[in-house]
Amino acid sequence: MSVVDSPATRRPRDPGGPRQNRVPGHVAPRRRKRNSGLVPWALAVPALVLIAALLGYPLVRMLVLSFQNMRLRELISGRTPPWVGFDQYTRVLTDEVFWAVVGRTVAFTVVSVLISVIGGLSIALLMRRVTRGVRLFMVIAMMFVWALPQLVAAQIFRWMTDSDFGVVNYLIDKLPGVNYQNHSWFVNPWQGWSVITALVVWAGIPFLAITLNAGLTQVPKELLEAATVDGATPWQSLRNIILPILKPLITIVTTLSVIWNFGLFTQAWVLRDGHPEPQFQTLATYSYTQAFGQARYSLGSAIAVITVLLMLGVMIFYIRQMFRIGEVD
Amino acid sequence: MKRKIAAVAAIAATLLGAAACGSNSDEDAPTTSASGKVDGTGKTLKVWLMVDAQSAWKNVVDDASKRFTDATGATVNVEYQQWANHLTKLDATLAGSDVPDVVELGNTEFPKYVFSGAFGAVNPADYENSDSWLQGLKGACDFEGKTYCVPYYAGARVLIYRTDLLKKVGAEAPKSYDEFLATAEKVQNAEKANSKFGAVYMPGQYWYAAMSWVKSTGGDIAKQEGDKWVGQLSQPQSIEGLQRWVDMVKKYSKADPTKNENDQANTFAQGTAAMFYGNAWEQGAAEETKKDPNNPDSPLVPTKVKGKLAAAPMPEVPSFLGGSNLGITEKSQQKELAAQWIKAFTDSTSMAGLVKANALPNATALLDKAAADNKTIAPAALAAKNSWFPPNAEKWADVEKGAVLQTMLTDVLTGKKSVADGAKWADDQINTTLNES
Repeated sequence: MSVVDSPATRRPRDPGGPRQNRVPGHVAPRRRKRNSGLVPWALAVPALVLIAALLGYPLVRMLVLSFQNMRLRELISGRTPPWVGFDQYTRVLTDEVFWAVVGRTVAFTVVSVLISVIGGLSIALLMRRVTRGVRLFMVIAMMFVWALPQLVAAQIFRWMTDSDFGVVNYLIDKLPGVNYQNHSWFVNPWQGWSVITALVVWAGIPFLAITLNAGLTQVPKELLEAATVDGATPWQSLRNIILPILKPLITIVTTLSVIWNFGLFTQAWVLRDGHPEPQFQTLATYSYTQAFGQARYSLGSAIAVITVLLMLGVMIFYIRQMFRIGEVD
Repeated sequence: MKRKIAAVAAIAATLLGAAACGSNSDEDAPTTSASGKVDGTGKTLKVWLMVDAQSAWKNVVDDASKRFTDATGATVNVEYQQWANHLTKLDATLAGSDVPDVVELGNTEFPKYVFSGAFGAVNPADYENSDSWLQGLKGACDFEGKTYCVPYYAGARVLIYRTDLLKKVGAEAPKSYDEFLATAEKVQNAEKANSKFGAVYMPGQYWYAAMSWVKSTGGDIAKQEGDKWVGQLSQPQSIEGLQRWVDMVKKYSKADPTKNENDQANTFAQGTAAMFYGNAWEQGAAEETKKDPNNPDSPLVPTKVKGKLAAAPMPEVPSFLGGSNLGITEKSQQKELAAQWIKAFTDSTSMAGLVKANALPNATALLDKAAADNKTIAPAALAAKNSWFPPNAEKWADVEKGAVLQTMLTDVLTGKKSVADGAKWADDQINTTLNES
């Protein structure tokens, strides 16, 4: 976990130098250097072949597919689908439904990631303050949540929010003056999305809290003590000491959360019983419905390609950000 | 980098080309005959049936398979599929070469596959009762003058009601739509104390029901004008029927407007409604439930409404004729055997077995006998005579999968759209989907 390394430990290691992993104190013999061009490649071949077969080939197929018009007929008969150029892309990009889906997916990602990261960080900070026993209990409880498969968790949430039998309605209905019997949580998209977000955040927090807790152990106690002695409030310590040290780690877990939540599928799919209404479609479910539900395989591919490109934008931004953080410190 | 991409593209193109060479027969495949004797010794026939056959009439399947095995020597391997994902699974399977020989699909699902060349043509004359096959089932098999599937069973929807609750307010099975509304009103008032109670359980996305109401006032979903399909929901007669349904649901139903009818029997079994609109067999499903739903052999346990239910045709509302057909896959290597099995599974003996299990037989000639033999399905058999089915359009399944009608109904019920706006929106979606090239 080199990301957890505090800037202090990294500094003496000549930050401006070349990026190769030099083993300190190791003197490389000259002879070796000559064929170093080939050997790494040879060693990497098995991995590269695997990546090419498992990622490269499907990716290329998907790209090719997005320029064709493959429907059920072509799928069954095995005939080459007709080439249609950029038609599928034009169709997707000029479709307002698609842009609504993109907007919704982005909005959900921003909101859910913000809540998860802040929630995760809060719990991690709390874990530093409680006794060992409580901390252990928290870790175990979160491990259970973490270990629950998405599908199972989503199914449980579906039952809890069921309008006829759901325990959530039952409990809210117990409040005096509230009639929540037969309340449907998915009529109002805001309520529906609250349920989905709650599920995603609930399932996402354990990873964030446990990782950030690990990161917090790397914050030098002396620094915090010195700050306290100098009269810093806990809030100032958090802002000026803990957060800067945790920043690389927070960036990483945020990036991961963005990637996961952007690809939201299972939760929305299960909570809507396999038929998400338009207001509950995200990019992933929309692409799936188009491709597999309605046998528009090429259109689905085009949506998937566009999704990848959108994600790529986010990824590049974050990776650059990450490097920048590393360099500045 | 560029060269790398070019190389990858070249490899991909080669692979694609190779895949494309696999099979390219576009000529008309011959019609598979089911007459004469076929020797299938040592062969195994792969059959995909839907889960209903497993839960309700497995004995009929086993009996037909046994007779088939006796006649041909081939064994049968039946795999039961779930409605939720069977099409996705079928698509993936049909893309390969190891395909099931016989596949059951819902009648509204068939046209898309028939058009796409998934099934081989059959000769109707080889099958019993084929001259009076229910049009709602057979229509889905017809394409360019040939028949590509065999009707299997049907289901017509009826009004299933609580005899005890209706008796309490002095009502019987309604004879007219007005009487139905009056009964609902009375029961609703009688059960006022229970805030969970709604006289009619009608989930909001139950589009088979809503469209039946549309049909009841002379409306329609879509019709063919020349080469084009034109959505009809925003026509005045359709709007009238839709409005009629919406008014009824808003007033008497406490069901979730975002749910569909899949689970309605179980929900109804909780005793918080007096009437629901369902398939004949759903009466049984509401009265008894499997102790372990994952085990088809588990014993039945009675529910709260056991012995308190009866069925009647829904007055003045034509029934959606649902059901299933059986097709022989085009890629099957043993089409003749497949035809023999279908012949055994759809003959009068098998149909009698289905009737016992509360399903409707595949032919009008058998409906009257079914009604006489099994009192439970008598209302449904009656309802089947006044029935409708969705547009027989190649892309109709896409309208269903796209949840067009379901979304419209939820939007209208929750007040997000007016009936007129909802109908207009659905028409636009239907036009786009059905006429997509």
